[in-house]
Order: sequence, then structure tokens, then C-alpha cells
Amino acid sequence: MDDGLGKGNDLGSPDPLALRLAGGDPAAPRELVERHHAEIYRYARVLLRDTPAAEDAVQEAFSKAFDALGRYSGERIGAIRLRPWLYRITLNVVRNAWRDGRFEVPVAETPEGDDGRCGVVPGVIGADEEAWMDVLWALGRLSERQRVAVSLRYLEDLPYAGISAATGWPENTCKTLVRRGIGHLGALLSDGSDEKEAIR
Amino acid sequence: MNERETRMPGEEGGDGRVAGLLGDAASRLTPRGDPDELVGRVLSRGTDRLFSCDSPLGEIYAAVGERGVRFVGRASSPDEFARRYRERFGRLLSWGTDGATRGLAGRVAAALAGERVEVQADLSGTTPFQRRVLEVVAGIPRGEVRPYAWVAREAGSPKASRAVGTVMATNPVPLLVPCHRVVKNDGTTGSYAFGAGEKIGLLRGEGVPVEEISGSPYLATPTTGIFCHATCRNARRIQPENRRRFRSSQAATKAGFRPCKVCRPVVAG
Repeated sequence: MDDGLGKGNDLGSPDPLALRLAGGDPAAPRELVERHHAEIYRYARVLLRDTPAAEDAVQEAFSKAFDALGRYSGERIGAIRLRPWLYRITLNVVRNAWRDGRFEVPVAETPEGDDGRCGVVPGVIGADEEAWMDVLWALGRLSERQRVAVSLRYLEDLPYAGISAATGWPENTCKTLVRRGIGHLGALLSDGSDEKEAIR
Repeated sequence: MNERETRMPGEEGGDGRVAGLLGDAASRLTPRGDPDELVGRVLSRGTDRLFSCDSPLGEIYAAVGERGVRFVGRASSPDEFARRYRERFGRLLSWGTDGATRGLAGRVAAALAGERVEVQADLSGTTPFQRRVLEVVAGIPRGEVRPYAWVAREAGSPKASRAVGTVMATNPVPLLVPCHRVVKNDGTTGSYAFGAGEKIGLLRGEGVPVEEISGSPYLATPTTGIFCHATCRNARRIQPENRRRFRSSQAATKAGFRPCKVCRPVVAG
């Protein structure tokens, strides 16, 4: 699993945490998980649209990451851009889940926020809560590639070089996918959402 | 992190509202449950655990997998130990701060200090022959020693004395599997992964009369007509005036003694 970043990337110098992992620092694995598990969860949650499935995906992604780190030479570990690398592993895990059909739940049967994850109580949902849940619902209607690209850009705040590294797609492809994805989201959200607009 | 880049106005096709909503969604999608518990679960599945403890060789490090202690050794730093572990076992080490690992660390320290404490060693990274050898060695009691040829015979490969030496040199869990209790066939202590001097010190600390058995590893007594390894618990009961020392089991047999059924010295031919 190459991190996919050639020279001239704009992601800065080597990650100090990658160098500590390479050097064997026994505190580094915990830091890797603490630093990245929330964003890995968010990414998997958006792609899978299911909370337990996303939690499983986080476990599996870190397992795969640690397995790979165990096999790599110190030099190779030190050169990894950890963040896009983890997103890439997560995408593979999510794709396996899609392929197995394990986690694929039809959108209509999975109202966002219905899992009690963030303590949203039905009936007291305000306009803001609806809006952010609507955008997740709309995100779920995008094509797989657009959903991945938009999530990485706007939920995970990755630069295009990072999105490219996390997906293996050329940077310009990522830009196009994000632009079209955002356009589709806008269209999906304005469809039949007049009342919401009135509230806002 | 310096990998964030500023979003250009209009980058998202003029739909800043959608971008804002996505940012809002991102801030709300957080994992449920206790983060510490989640991190602990991820680490226990993805990495093996490291701890250090006191031993007769000074501070040592130990690596623990799901099925027990996999690697024990000295190192200049925990990082160096973890690097060696990664190269040999293909797994990362993280500090074992959980209760189970702390409990195990206490038991390992007690076992190394000579207490009768059961510590599970995981020898799954070894070949069947290596495992048989290590299991035989694990059964040599504190205060006693056995020659390489005896270990080879007990492991079912009587001609593999030299191979036994190699297994001792690469023992992943020294002290826990007491390879320092395996000595040369003439009773001299021989080499040790941590140094020949350390081996002598360890054996003395366990009450082995190192000088006495060097060159005469067998003891016999005319009262029973039996000969033993000199450190066998039966041999130690022989009255000083009855002790007959032998350099080899062949010499003892030739003198008319039969091998002890407890320590089972190897008799050639």
C-alpha cells in the first residue's frame, strides 16, 4: 500500500509520528489511533451510512494499518503520509463491505440520525439538525466516487493532493468529482425543501 | 497539520451553503462510546503489548501477544526492543498499560525471581523441532542443569545436539524458558545469548555448583549402584563420602552403574 504521493506534493515534510512508528516508539501506535480514529469513523460512517458498520470499519482499518506497519521496513514506515494512507485503507475496507453486501442498507430504511448516535431525540429536532442530516442523506445519493471525493474534501478537509493519495485517482479527477458532487448535492437539497428554506 | 489548504471562494461551484452544511455534519459525526475503550480495543487487536520488569539480568523487556509472552530480552531502549520485535515477528508493540498486561508483568517478574508462578509463553513463531526443544528445556528445574545431548534425546532427536545449541541461541523467551540451564556435555557452562559470564552468574544464583560439575557432570553412589546428572535432586542427597564423579555417562556405565530413572542420563550405544 503505497501512500501514493510523489514528489512535489503539498502535504509538507515527513510526519514526525511516522518517524516515531519507524523507530519503534511503543507510545506511537496509541497516538496514531487517538489522532485519527474520529475522522476515520466519520469517513466510514458517511460512506456506509450505518453506525455499527462504521465502528467495525474503524477496527478493521486500524488492524490492516498495523498489519502493514508490522511488515514494512523502518524506512518505508517513516515515509508514509499517515492521514491519506489511513483514508485509503478505510476506503478499501468500506469497498469490501459494499461488495459483501454486509452493510448496504437501503437509504429509505435508514433515516439518518435514527441510530441515537448523537442523542437527537425525535420531535425536538431543530432546523439546524435537519439540515445537516439532510446533507448526509443527499451525500448518500451521490455516485460512489463523488461521495468519496466530496467527503474527503468537505468532511475531512483534505487538500486535493491528499484526496488523490487517499483514492489513487488523479488530482484533476478529484477536483471534477468534488465539483460535480457539490452541484448534485445542491440540486438534491433544493428539491422539495421549500419548507426548510422557509424555516431558514 | 500543515496539509490543510484554504478553500477558494466559489471552488464548490458557488454552492457555499452545501459546503457549510457538510462542515456542520462533519462536526456532529463523532464516535459514540468511550474513546479510551475504543482506542484500547483497536490497540489490543492491532498490536502486541510491551512491558519491562526486573530480572536476574537487570531490566528486561517482554512482548506479549494474545496467547502469551512471545519475546523477552535486553535492549538499550524500548524503541530498540520494539524494532527488533517488528523485524522478527511482523507486529508493532505498544505499551501494555491495561490491567491484564500489568498483572502479567508482575507474574513474569515473580517467575524470574524464582517463585513458582505459571507464565504462559507463546512459542507459535517457532518450528516444531524448536518448540519440542524449548518445551523440554522449560521442564529443567531451577538449581539443575542438563547437557545438550540430553535435551536432544528428550526432544526425540538424539543426534541433534548442535541443533539444540542453535535453538538455545535463538530462544525467543530466555529466562522464561531457562536455556541457561543447558550446559555442554562435559559439564562446563558454555556460551549464552547474553554472555557466558551472565550464564555462570545466573546458575550460581540458582544454587548450581558450577565449578564442581565442570568436567565431572555425573555423580554415582555405590550404595544404590545408580548414577545421575550431578544436579539431579537424587544426586544431591548422596553422602559426600559415597560420591563418585564421572566425566561421561559411558565411564559411569563402564564402572557398573545404571542411569537414574528420574534424571535419565543419556547412555550412548
